[in-house]
Amino acid sequence: MANVYVFQVLNGLGLGMIYFLISVGLTIIFGLLNFVNFAHGAFFLLGSYLCYTTVAWTGNFWLSLIAGPLVVGALAWVAERVLIVRVYHLPHTFHILITLGIALIIQESAIMIWGPVGKSVPVPELLQGVVRFGNFAYPQYRLFLIVFSAVIGLLLWLLLERTKFGALVRAGSENPEQVALLGTNIFRLFSLTFALGVALAGVAGVLSAPLRGAHPFIGTEVLGLAFVVVVIGGMGSFSGALVGGLLVGLVQSLMTSIWPQGASLMIYGAMAAVILLRPYGLFGRA
Amino acid sequence: MADARSMTPAPAAAATAPAAGPSLLRGITLLTVAAVIVLPLVLPSTTLAAEILIFAMAALACNLLLGYTGLLSFGQGIFFGGGAYVASLLMIHLGAGLFTALVGAMVFGAAVAAVVGALAIRRTGIYFVMLTLAFSQMAYFVAYTLSDWTGGDNGLLDVPRPPVAIAGATLVDLSDPAVYYAFVAVLFVAVFVAARRIIHSPFGSTLVAIRENEGRAAALGYDTRQFKILAFSLSGAITGLAGALYAMLLNFAPLSNIELVMSEHILIMTIIGGTGSLFGSILGAAGIVLLGDLLSAVWPRWMMLLGIVLIGVVIFMRGGLWGGVESLYDTIRARRAHRRTAP
Repeated sequence: MANVYVFQVLNGLGLGMIYFLISVGLTIIFGLLNFVNFAHGAFFLLGSYLCYTTVAWTGNFWLSLIAGPLVVGALAWVAERVLIVRVYHLPHTFHILITLGIALIIQESAIMIWGPVGKSVPVPELLQGVVRFGNFAYPQYRLFLIVFSAVIGLLLWLLLERTKFGALVRAGSENPEQVALLGTNIFRLFSLTFALGVALAGVAGVLSAPLRGAHPFIGTEVLGLAFVVVVIGGMGSFSGALVGGLLVGLVQSLMTSIWPQGASLMIYGAMAAVILLRPYGLFGRA
Repeated sequence: MADARSMTPAPAAAATAPAAGPSLLRGITLLTVAAVIVLPLVLPSTTLAAEILIFAMAALACNLLLGYTGLLSFGQGIFFGGGAYVASLLMIHLGAGLFTALVGAMVFGAAVAAVVGALAIRRTGIYFVMLTLAFSQMAYFVAYTLSDWTGGDNGLLDVPRPPVAIAGATLVDLSDPAVYYAFVAVLFVAVFVAARRIIHSPFGSTLVAIRENEGRAAALGYDTRQFKILAFSLSGAITGLAGALYAMLLNFAPLSNIELVMSEHILIMTIIGGTGSLFGSILGAAGIVLLGDLLSAVWPRWMMLLGIVLIGVVIFMRGGLWGGVESLYDTIRARRAHRRTAP
């Protein structure tokens, strides 16, 4: 019986790591650019569909893991250069509206290209088996998911905290004029940061495709959950996104067999409670 | 307080609105009445016309919050869907008449909006938006869970459309679509006129003051919290009424009424129509409902156009459609004046 719980806890961790990847992108964009991206869920959706297409064409999941985030990131870069750069200085309301527009365009394009019915993606051949610990068996792909997301998270942390690029981005978020005066092209830095944050949603989309497939209307759901994670962890907080993501993943996974809608109610209830009682999140800085 | 001023896309329009003379006020009301009369004549069906007015009502209520109080609420679907459910349940289970059902929906909308508002306005900016979003999602999952009452995914079926009756005596039977349109139209004009009066009352001016600079309004001695909650209740009541009318129009209360997407939809209508004027909400609702009706058969992905228009409005035309009409009017007048003064 205990095995059932271990199984669900592991599932929750996997789901939680996907939520972490989505949310950490959202939180970076908010924390560093002070921009609210309501198109984040739509870019996740695009990642899932790109995974489907790459696998359908080449049969190679690993290629999609590279191509998916690259294409999503490139599109985000273009969107940033053409549209978003015009609204940074405006209040958050305008950020929300313009990205809502972008999300609509992405969602409808996805339906145009891939049709209104969801697509399923096979688990990569290499990871189709199970890992056995005594009499307990667990799917390889789900374990891979946890490890791979953790590696991505670590690399991201190193990038932001230990490289010159990271230092510039952090400095730019504190005082863009100063950084620009020191000879850095601040606009290019912001575009790259935005593309990076969105590409993380693309990675999450690709990773989740073999588990949940690609559905045209999943964007809104994912966006909602990403905001829950970001709010619970504190907007702009890296570690908050990790803990928040795992928390939401575990709650969802443990509640699925009991009361799935109850899980969503709890999660959104927790979000409201955190904003009201601890507005900077459990890990955010005031 | 940047966000309190966030939706002041047409500062000129907003600033002149409260000071507008009675003649302009009457002009807009006449324009509305004219629009309401013309709509069913030019449209292929009165049902479509009724749908436009119902969504115009919801957008107008959203505009009260967004355009006049500066509050971007993702919770309008709660009041819309809630109003639809309450009216339907009152009629189905308690055999309530038309007015009881409509008033019930309004009271429910106002009460829920007061609670949502009272909690949400404890935070500002993005956190306010997130709170309305959280409540919206919670309302959806509550409606989904209470499927014995709401029908869950299938929606609430067989919603009646009772006649206008006094003391059991039927005065007007609403089962004919054209008659129902007339009924909705009368309610719409009443709501529009009431909303305009409210906006141009001292209460409305205080709301605009809060939008422009909440700190200053508070310093002048206004309890801005109370004003915002009242604005929410008012918006909730009107949205609840719209939801109830929509359920009666369709004879059906689908779950999608209370989804986050409905809140987005109402918000988009309001913004595309323009937040500087209540008439903009009619333009926004009419534009989007018509676009959907005309295009959905030819091009099922017409919502993409909505995304493009939304981006265009944010970048080029923050006053929305009504703001565009106004600036066009101003340009023409300025040109004429110029021609007259030119030698």
